[in-house]
Amino acid sequence: MPKIEVNESLFFSLLGRRCDASELEEMLPSAKAELDEWVAEPDPEQRTIKIELNDTNRPDLWSTAGLARALRVRETGVRPEYPFFSREGAAAPATRKVVVEASVREARPYLAGFFVSGKAITDAVLKDIIQTQEKLCWNFGRKRRSVSMGIYRSAGIEWPVRYKAVAPDSVRFVPLQGDRPMTLTEILREHPKGKEYGFINEPHKLHPLLTDSKGAVLSYPPIINSNDLGAVKVGDTELFVELTGTDLVSVALSASIVACDFADSGYGVEPVKVEYPYDTAFGRSVTFPYYFQVPVSVEAAKVSKLLGLPFSVQATRDAVERMGSATESHGQYVTVLPPAYRNDFLHAVDIVEDVMMGRGMSSFEPERPRDFTIGRLSPIETFSRRAKGVLVGLGLQEMIYPYLGSKRDFVERMCAGEGETVRISNPMSESFEYLRSSILPSLLGSESVSSRAPYPHGIFEAGKVAYRNHIENYGVSTRQRIAFLLAHAEADYNQVASQVATLMYFLGKDYSIAETEDPRFIAGRQARIIYKGDPIGILGEVHPRVLEAWSVAMPCAAAELDLESLLA
Amino acid sequence: MDARSLVKSLHPLEVKVLLRYGPGDRLDSRRLEAELGYKEGHSNQAFSWLSSKGLAAEDGREARTVYELTPLGREFAEKGTPEERMLRFLSEKGPARLPEIASSLGLEQKDVGSAFGILSKEGALSMDGEKRAVLAPERPAAEVARPRSAVVRDLIAKAAAASEGILEESTLDEAERAAMGGIARKRGAGDAAFRAAERERVWYRLSQDADEVVAELKSQGVTGDELGAVTPEILEKGRWKDVAFRPYNVNAPAARLMPGRRNAYVEFLESVKDKLVSLGFEEFDGGLVETEFWNSDALFMPQFHSARDIHDVYHLAEPAKAKSIEEPYLSAVAATHENGGSSGSRGWSYAFDREFTKRLILRSQGTVLSARQLPKAKVPGRYFGIVRCFRYDKVDATHLSDFYQTEGIVLGEEVNLRTLLGFLEMFAVEVAGAKEVKYVPGYFPFTEPSVEVHIKHPVLGWFELGGSGIFRPEVTEPLGIKVPVAAWGIGIDRMALMALGLNDLRELFSPDIESVRLRRAKNI
Repeated sequence: MPKIEVNESLFFSLLGRRCDASELEEMLPSAKAELDEWVAEPDPEQRTIKIELNDTNRPDLWSTAGLARALRVRETGVRPEYPFFSREGAAAPATRKVVVEASVREARPYLAGFFVSGKAITDAVLKDIIQTQEKLCWNFGRKRRSVSMGIYRSAGIEWPVRYKAVAPDSVRFVPLQGDRPMTLTEILREHPKGKEYGFINEPHKLHPLLTDSKGAVLSYPPIINSNDLGAVKVGDTELFVELTGTDLVSVALSASIVACDFADSGYGVEPVKVEYPYDTAFGRSVTFPYYFQVPVSVEAAKVSKLLGLPFSVQATRDAVERMGSATESHGQYVTVLPPAYRNDFLHAVDIVEDVMMGRGMSSFEPERPRDFTIGRLSPIETFSRRAKGVLVGLGLQEMIYPYLGSKRDFVERMCAGEGETVRISNPMSESFEYLRSSILPSLLGSESVSSRAPYPHGIFEAGKVAYRNHIENYGVSTRQRIAFLLAHAEADYNQVASQVATLMYFLGKDYSIAETEDPRFIAGRQARIIYKGDPIGILGEVHPRVLEAWSVAMPCAAAELDLESLLA
Repeated sequence: MDARSLVKSLHPLEVKVLLRYGPGDRLDSRRLEAELGYKEGHSNQAFSWLSSKGLAAEDGREARTVYELTPLGREFAEKGTPEERMLRFLSEKGPARLPEIASSLGLEQKDVGSAFGILSKEGALSMDGEKRAVLAPERPAAEVARPRSAVVRDLIAKAAAASEGILEESTLDEAERAAMGGIARKRGAGDAAFRAAERERVWYRLSQDADEVVAELKSQGVTGDELGAVTPEILEKGRWKDVAFRPYNVNAPAARLMPGRRNAYVEFLESVKDKLVSLGFEEFDGGLVETEFWNSDALFMPQFHSARDIHDVYHLAEPAKAKSIEEPYLSAVAATHENGGSSGSRGWSYAFDREFTKRLILRSQGTVLSARQLPKAKVPGRYFGIVRCFRYDKVDATHLSDFYQTEGIVLGEEVNLRTLLGFLEMFAVEVAGAKEVKYVPGYFPFTEPSVEVHIKHPVLGWFELGGSGIFRPEVTEPLGIKVPVAAWGIGIDRMALMALGLNDLRELFSPDIESVRLRRAKNI
């Protein structure tokens, strides 16, 4: 979930008024945001507010301008106009053009761009733009894979700009933070950004490159800008903004968001025409910023039913408009025309939530549910509690353990091979690489750290294990088991056998015993527990080689039973 | 000093001493042995306890030497010394060679040899021409000093009759001391009849305070002969009718027991389950291993959207994929992702990957089980689970790689935002004990609208108790559900830590037996 830092004075000017922390905290929930920290700083120009945004589907809120806009519109009801958008069949006139070449189609096929002018970039605005770029490209653009963004000083650019793909050794330019011309290969190998994002281009033979009509490099998307045209400074008055990526909708939406942010901050936005040599969802020639939102409709009755409060058509429209959308009504239906910067209306229910927030949560009183339903525990939970009750009566202490563990604990120290134990292919650390297939390693783990606890020890756990089983659709079985372990100078087979007998007696289960050979136990002092003809557990004296592996110097006897088999 | 309460803490061994003696009596263990029949250990306990209560004080000590009969000495006392036995043998059987004597008496030759040496020196024996030992002719008793072997024999007999086989040096005459010097080596050789030891004799005197206590004892009629433990014999013979029971010191600290016990954290989890059951919820459960399909796709989380990044998951090495995904759900969910299917949504507009969806992972959120419950759910219906989930997180005080999530659903025509808030309020008040509740809009990929519930806990203050919402039709429609479904999840770990007096999540799953044994839960 993104967290942004907004400059206080920039935020207040975009909000249209000043506010204090408690007011801000009142307002933020309507943007699904929370105040994280208001950084104390004597110079008001340097003061910043840290805010956490919870809606991963609303990237338009991840900037100072976007967040301030949402709060301002909700408060004032006045929606801003953005006249520079083109629509299907109605392209705005554009004097500048980007020509896309067919060679980029494989690696990074889409580009959107626009031109910014009208006033000088300030330090606060520049910082804000860089933050917007980071949040959009990292969170929404999936670490620049599907969206990345570049900003350039327009002054030196010879139009039209060209977007093409080239062999990585065929071009050299000086990248930002670089001191010499480098080939794309060198950038990937040596430049910090090349190392960080190189994985995106590396699979491709030809790499995307943005140049002006004379061949001067603007950037090497999505890695790094040129140190010349791509170095924006405080005081620049004309900028070219472009976004490239693998998903046209994400690229176009991001362009709309950034364009609206500039417009709200008082800059002029001028369209740029992008010519594709191939078909896109918006055609071969697309003028950006481009409005592509589809109207969504909802019946007022549906709003009322889902919110549990009567909403008229007008009440629905009022609430929705406070959340930034234009609306129309058609009989009992409200049609929402989302703003260009929002692409989160997939279904009528998305309108319902806007109605909820536009009206405000305080309008909705909790209502006691009236349906009658019978509550009950699952049969295995009830059965496990019975079994645990017997073991507590036998003087044992209940434990609870993690299900993830290391190969050392779950496999090696048990001296019985990997068997059907489930391994994680992408563990975060060796300590959590396996899913336990038995409770016994967990119990022995307790013994290995508890030699100073007064003896005798008697411990147990009822919990889950999982192991590979080819009969299952998932190839893995999860079972509820109960296991217990005795550790003291006289712990032996007979004691644990008596405890199994007691447990089974009070669970009302007849069982028999069969000889077995399990390397975890001493030969001849272990047995399978047979219930209705099937082996459902094991008991015995833990083998000294296992105890040694766990550094346990006290005799241990243990048993493990499958509760689900006993319940069946 | 409070004599009344002091009397309660007196042991019969102390009581008898107090009642028998006064401050003028000089006491030591030998005196108590002789007059009260105490063993030495009992006397020492009585003196030690009385001293610690200020009722007696030491009144001097003196070192003394004692001679203690060794096991060998006890054997001599029983069978006679070798010298004694040799004289008896010769007087009964007549002259005999030394090896013959040794084998007949079952003695070692060297012992017989040294006995002969002693006796011949004393003039009791001599060797004849045939190398046989013969008794010397008797001489008038007055003519000679009493032979040392006879002195030794008497010492052994005297010691064997004394308490614990001990002879005080001070009670021996000169001949006895000389004899003892020869046979008792200091500090324990095994082949001597006596062992010499230094003992300290300690004297005590009752203090002036004892008078008051004695008066109290007398006024209460305590004699020291009161009954201790109640035994079956006392009950059978009815002795309790004649004698009082000795009062015990009820203030003595109780001994530790190690009982069988439930785990405090598990009990906490069960208490939450029980509360949810009381609110009409039925428990569900499921496997630890899931598919991408149920873990995320069925919850309408697009396969390649950043929303998926918030649930980083563990993948299985082997097997890596499920054999199949249940139909008709697979096709319905795929269509919903691609174009909305029959859900009324426009979908996510991408090609759903039917292989990726089979990938096996460890369940990362309890909502999986809510989704799985939908096709088999009753309407109206309420379901919940407190289930283990796995996250790709670095383990520390606030993050675990496996942990419990508490999740549930409510199905029914009455489900709407306000009844959802009604449920959240019930959880806040009934489960979390909240005094104040506040609701704010939330975001979850699978619910719309979505609401977070924040509560003011009496101890923890304001915090987010949980998230909830009404399942998107893109979740319910493909699984065949036509009514609204409220989905909720509550975080109970902070309450668990508070109830258990802990501040580190890892402690909930502590393997340390002693800390788990001693752990107590509050407020559950």
